[in-house]
Amino acid sequence: MNQPLILIIEDEEALRRFLIPTLSGRNYQVLSAATGTEGLAMARSHNPDLILLDLGLPDLDGMAVLKELRLWSHKPVVILSARNQERDKVRALDQGADDYLAKPFGAGELLARIRVALRHTLPTEVAEPLLRSGGLSIDLDRREVSRDGRLVKLTVLEYRLLEALVRRHGKVATHRQLLAEVWGPGGEGNTHYLRIYMAMLRKKLEADPTRPRHFITEPNVGYRLNLDAPGD
Amino acid sequence: MQSLACDPGSGAGLFTRFLCGTLNPMTAQPRPILVALGSEARALRLIQAAFHLARERAAPWIAVHVDTGPGAAAEDAEQVQVWMQEAQQLGAVVQVVQAPTLAQGLSEITRSSQAQALVLGRSRDRWPWARLGHSTADELQRRGLDAELVVLDDRPDGPGPDARGIPFSAMLGTLVVLVACTGLAWLVPREGNLSLVLPVYLLGVAFIAHRWGSGLGILASVMGTLLYNFLLETPRFQQATSHWPNLLFFLLMLLAAQLVIGLIHRMRRQAKEVQRRERHTVSLYLLGRDLARCRTPREVATTAAVHIRRGFRAKAWLLFPSQDQWQILPDPGTAPDCLPPPAELLPRLTMVERLGDPLEPLPVGEATCLSLTGTDRSEGVLLVLPEGLDGLPPWTWELLQVFAVQIALSLERLRWLEEARRAQVESETERLRNTLLGAIGHDLRTPLAAIHGAAGSLLLPGEVDAATRHDLLTMIQEESDRLAHLLGNLLDLTRLESGALQVQKEWQPLEEVVGSALGRMEQRQGALPVRVDLPEALPLVPLDAVLIEQVLINLLTNAQRHAPGLDLDLRAWQEPGWVHLEVADRGPGIPVDFEERIFDKFFRLPEAREGGVGLGLAICRAILQAHGGSIHVESRAGGGSSFRLALPLDGTPPELPEGAR
Repeated sequence: MNQPLILIIEDEEALRRFLIPTLSGRNYQVLSAATGTEGLAMARSHNPDLILLDLGLPDLDGMAVLKELRLWSHKPVVILSARNQERDKVRALDQGADDYLAKPFGAGELLARIRVALRHTLPTEVAEPLLRSGGLSIDLDRREVSRDGRLVKLTVLEYRLLEALVRRHGKVATHRQLLAEVWGPGGEGNTHYLRIYMAMLRKKLEADPTRPRHFITEPNVGYRLNLDAPGD
Repeated sequence: MQSLACDPGSGAGLFTRFLCGTLNPMTAQPRPILVALGSEARALRLIQAAFHLARERAAPWIAVHVDTGPGAAAEDAEQVQVWMQEAQQLGAVVQVVQAPTLAQGLSEITRSSQAQALVLGRSRDRWPWARLGHSTADELQRRGLDAELVVLDDRPDGPGPDARGIPFSAMLGTLVVLVACTGLAWLVPREGNLSLVLPVYLLGVAFIAHRWGSGLGILASVMGTLLYNFLLETPRFQQATSHWPNLLFFLLMLLAAQLVIGLIHRMRRQAKEVQRRERHTVSLYLLGRDLARCRTPREVATTAAVHIRRGFRAKAWLLFPSQDQWQILPDPGTAPDCLPPPAELLPRLTMVERLGDPLEPLPVGEATCLSLTGTDRSEGVLLVLPEGLDGLPPWTWELLQVFAVQIALSLERLRWLEEARRAQVESETERLRNTLLGAIGHDLRTPLAAIHGAAGSLLLPGEVDAATRHDLLTMIQEESDRLAHLLGNLLDLTRLESGALQVQKEWQPLEEVVGSALGRMEQRQGALPVRVDLPEALPLVPLDAVLIEQVLINLLTNAQRHAPGLDLDLRAWQEPGWVHLEVADRGPGIPVDFEERIFDKFFRLPEAREGGVGLGLAICRAILQAHGGSIHVESRAGGGSSFRLALPLDGTPPELPEGAR
């Protein structure tokens, strides 16, 4: 019961042929549209729980579809984009997309992203105060972070950054979003601040900062906090 | 005095060498050779003579100009400057000496520089006795220099005396000559000895005409007749023109004087013409030589402007039609602004070329236009704007035309060079395309065949056991990964090389990009045996994270492919202005001969095992070049190879937040 409804807006026949059976075999209901206009119409009529949106559509720019969607819907949108389109990805994410998948992607990656995107819409997840993953534990209630059982002291900014990442853990957070949340409006230009604080967080919270397991870099896009890492 | 004449065979003129004092060729350090330069056109020959002499004797040489104080015209000074630069370009040391006379200045510098020889020119435009007594060379000899004098005789030079009015000294000279003639004639016995008196006066008049110009010559012939009539003819002190021999004397004298003056005139004109032509030849030679060195139309325009300013006292620009506008080189700043558009001017120029006097340029306002026509088409337009008020004198037109031809030819040469280069690039592109097709033919088809085959056997009716089924599916996945990788590389390289991909540099810690590259690799194929050594103190580096991550992944993938399972080292260090990153393996290494070539597209080591297409390292190099950095490979002590990247720390590093680092 209560199978989430996923709308695929993708013009490539081959990708739809891969996506539809993969998702319907995993307990999702699937709808698909081949054009932006059709996709928007279906989104209005069926109100899906999640939308997979291709950025390169024949009729409407994927970006335009996203803007239109965001006028009335807050349901998660996962962008499907080609490699080397970092700029478009960032724009889509800043416009309100929740995550992205770079083609070609595997079924495992697809399902993981969908799971994360849907999880954030469930009310039960928001209240979870204690997060644990591979030696790292974050207690949002007591504002305590520890690694391998030892308490780690974080500065105010480091903690704020960590909090911002935790809020959307599993999903990508763009540089812009993190800068706005941690440094406030006007801080968007100082990407290197963010990078330096990320480096400091890694140094304190990763076993090997050059092989991060939790604080994953999405080059030229942003960061992703991965709390499903296996134990060290 | 020992005097010898020799012909150097260069047609440069007659060398006369006077040996004064002793020559000392055995000194350890060869003494320098001096050349005295003035503003005359023959200076170029002096320079050449001195240059060859210096080379012959392996001695240094010095170009000297003696500044005899104020009075030298500004244009002369400019010309001297040109010659001095010429000499300097040929390796001479340049020196200017202040002295009251040329001879004094030269003897001083010859002494002080201990020169072994002094090269100087001498004009032949003098009377033999003047040449023997008063030339600078004679003067120098009298001063007893310990140097060899190399005197380059030349054709007449310098402006004629009648060019600048009649100086007082000339009038005085004329008077003296006439008085001397009359005195001589006085000595001749009186009666009927006109035959002896006439040659005396004729000689005097001819001398005056030659020395001080035809005006004084005519005056002297009239005065000579009057003097004769007044002083020598009986009865003395009264005019007796009624006497017919006197009248005849007067007429003969006038005629003979006119003849001599006419001859002298013609000789002068010819001398001037020769001189003018020589100047033309020299200026053309200099223009041609400088144009030959130009590599861009802008350089051609600059060179043309310099030489036209020098030769014609005029500003010059090159105009190139581009759509409805003129592109003006070198610097359109002061160009006349009322130029007709190309569509109007070009046909007019063509008309002038076809129908008009070929030597007459087309006037445009105060300026003048010449078509720059090469061998097959117009290369542009030469615009000349005279600096003086009189415009361009007609006698310069011919030379200007030849200038225009030279400029046109060098523009044409540049255009052909450019076309040849483009053709070469095209053929290179064609070759690459063929290689690419060949590579794609093989490398795309192989995985496709495997995928197609595997899918086909999975679709065959009948049971496939679980293990086989898994194998076939794994193969499909792996082969499609390979295809995706190949396509990604091809696209990356195309984008990098076409310039479509813009590098987005951002200042960031190196460990971030290293971390994401390692993370991506390990996500794909499990843990990698990489030792990472990044110093804490490394600065932020401006780089495009996506591209540098790609470089690291390509290098790590290569290392994995050629040295599977062996340890890898990834290190970074800083140098002033640069950060270096090294990926080192313990694989079979790269033969020295191939250390450059492995970065070429589609290059694979002959003994390489199957795998890449030869694009990975080409991409790395393209990415590093796009960053303003570089990549190279070295052999590693103890075996293996080390790929080293250099990334420039250019630009201003951003301010660090307080408390960081």
